[in-house]
Amino acid sequence: MKKLESSLKNMLLVLTLVSAVAAFLLASVNKMTSSTIEKINEEALSAGIKSVLNVGADEQIAVTEKEVDSYLVYEVTREGNWIGTAVKSTDKSGFGGDIEVLVGFNEEGKILGYEVLKHAETPGLGARAGEWFRTATAGEVKKVGVLSKIFFGNPDPAGSHNIIGRDIAEGELKVSKDGGDIDAITASTITSRAFLNAVNNAYKVFKGNVSDVNSGATTQQ
Amino acid sequence: MNNLKVFLNGLIKENPTFVLLLGMCPTLGTTSSALNGMSMGLATTFVLICSNIVIALLKNLIPDKVRIPAYIVVIASFVTLLQMLMQAYLPSLYASLGLFIPLIVVNCIILGRAEAFAAKNTALPSLFDGLGMGLGFTWALTLLGAVRELLGTGAVFGFTLLPSSTNMLVFVLAPGAFIVLGYLIAIVNKIKK
Amino acid sequence: MEYILIFISAIFVNNVVLSQFLGICPFLGVSKKVETAKGMGLAVTFVLVIATIVTYLLQIWVLNPFNLQYLQTIVFILVIAALVQMVEIVLKKLSPSLYQALGVFLPLITTNCCILGVAILVANGTYNGQGLEPSLLTGVIFALATALGFALSLIVFAGLREQLSLIRVPKGMDGMPIALVVAGLLALAFMGFSGIDKGIALFFS
Repeated sequence: MKKLESSLKNMLLVLTLVSAVAAFLLASVNKMTSSTIEKINEEALSAGIKSVLNVGADEQIAVTEKEVDSYLVYEVTREGNWIGTAVKSTDKSGFGGDIEVLVGFNEEGKILGYEVLKHAETPGLGARAGEWFRTATAGEVKKVGVLSKIFFGNPDPAGSHNIIGRDIAEGELKVSKDGGDIDAITASTITSRAFLNAVNNAYKVFKGNVSDVNSGATTQQ
Repeated sequence: MNNLKVFLNGLIKENPTFVLLLGMCPTLGTTSSALNGMSMGLATTFVLICSNIVIALLKNLIPDKVRIPAYIVVIASFVTLLQMLMQAYLPSLYASLGLFIPLIVVNCIILGRAEAFAAKNTALPSLFDGLGMGLGFTWALTLLGAVRELLGTGAVFGFTLLPSSTNMLVFVLAPGAFIVLGYLIAIVNKIKK
Repeated sequence: MEYILIFISAIFVNNVVLSQFLGICPFLGVSKKVETAKGMGLAVTFVLVIATIVTYLLQIWVLNPFNLQYLQTIVFILVIAALVQMVEIVLKKLSPSLYQALGVFLPLITTNCCILGVAILVANGTYNGQGLEPSLLTGVIFALATALGFALSLIVFAGLREQLSLIRVPKGMDGMPIALVVAGLLALAFMGFSGIDKGIALFFS
């Protein structure tokens, strides 16, 4: 077959045709996958809610969603009994941007669990938030220089960074540098501050003091 | 026989990463672990094979003057297809590769192979060229990811091999990507001679 | 204040080349001489800002209202390719001197992933806006800052490579390997800026 000439008619025809076929193809695939994507997002959310409320993955729960001043609150019941509340909270001051966390509370207001839903933190540093704040402590304190910190990482200092079971009514969660008692993630104080701030705000939403959240966001820099 | 030669060409002799130095953004950006590097390589391979075949089939229907925009439409369609499929069936991988999935469109390897190979050959050799180049890209990214993961976190594909006292975090971060790639290219140059 | 922070963050802390890995191809390809690096930096700045405005408006006025978000990649890359051609033609007519300076770089820009990358980030609102809501203005500021960060790293790197070409390097490392190691050291230097934007924000609050 001979190559088509580069006449204006041919060029327009071919480009239009190629684009039309591409658009049609993509539109049909989009229709096919969009429902699956939605389902996966829903499943991921419900798995997250189960995880932060310590509910087994195959147990049946009922979730009622409500929006409280741009925070999403999920009231969870099992066989008609209220077992806890999960709050989705976002902090904009992470190291790489927004950090979105889901925090679960029981009736006493204690933290049952948390999941980091979205973040853009540095891998190996701030990205460890997903595990860091639920593991209790690490070994002995070692003295390390700045250079060896960069090249070899910091041996995790002794101290507590577990927030599971904490009751924020006894005082807001703060990193030890700010006078609190939570050890920040090694070399990632900014991530830790943003994360704890998101958790604190989730608690305020849980307690219904939404006005506190907004005033807290402006005064606490 | 000829197809085999075309296939091997991309794997070693004209390896897109170590020899041609194409597609450097995903090479450096997604190789913080071996798994991420391999997934990115396979995703690119998929787009490369599909676009190579389609362009080889359409090459006589596309007038010369509009061939670049037409190729871009073909490539971008496959990238979008990949994006939707990954979002639906491999959501966690999609999240970890992030922005670099749509950026496969501007990966010079794909447009480069379309111009240099698919536009001059028939569909079957183009398939093998795409496969060879794609897998050449994949093993390069996997190797780079494995070395960085091993030096940075002491693990490969998530399996811990070294004690945490030997972890050099810098290799998982941005500077390590450049340095490891530099040394790997030097080693490949040495072996090729 | 936040606008200044966007600049500091995008130029030094989250440099588009040295920490985000976008636009590596021109960073390695056209960094042998400081003069060409300046030209490329200028051309990218020019195209990136225009491309960001056009693609953002397209996203807001066309793709979002018609639920065509899934066509984002294909539309953006075509718009960018067409835009680069148009910029080339317009520059040729209006300002021959600017065209002389930028002309050779313009065709290379279409496949510069930093253009498409930033366009997608701004259109999706997933960039670090320092707490500001995504809008056209913050998007454009972010694009400008990113482009300046690109130009800065490119020019600094070209300066390093000019010096590098004067010294003897072990044979196996000559050329690209040593350039990559130098780029790694430059990235290490830029890591020293990390957190500086938060510090400044704290200082002025």
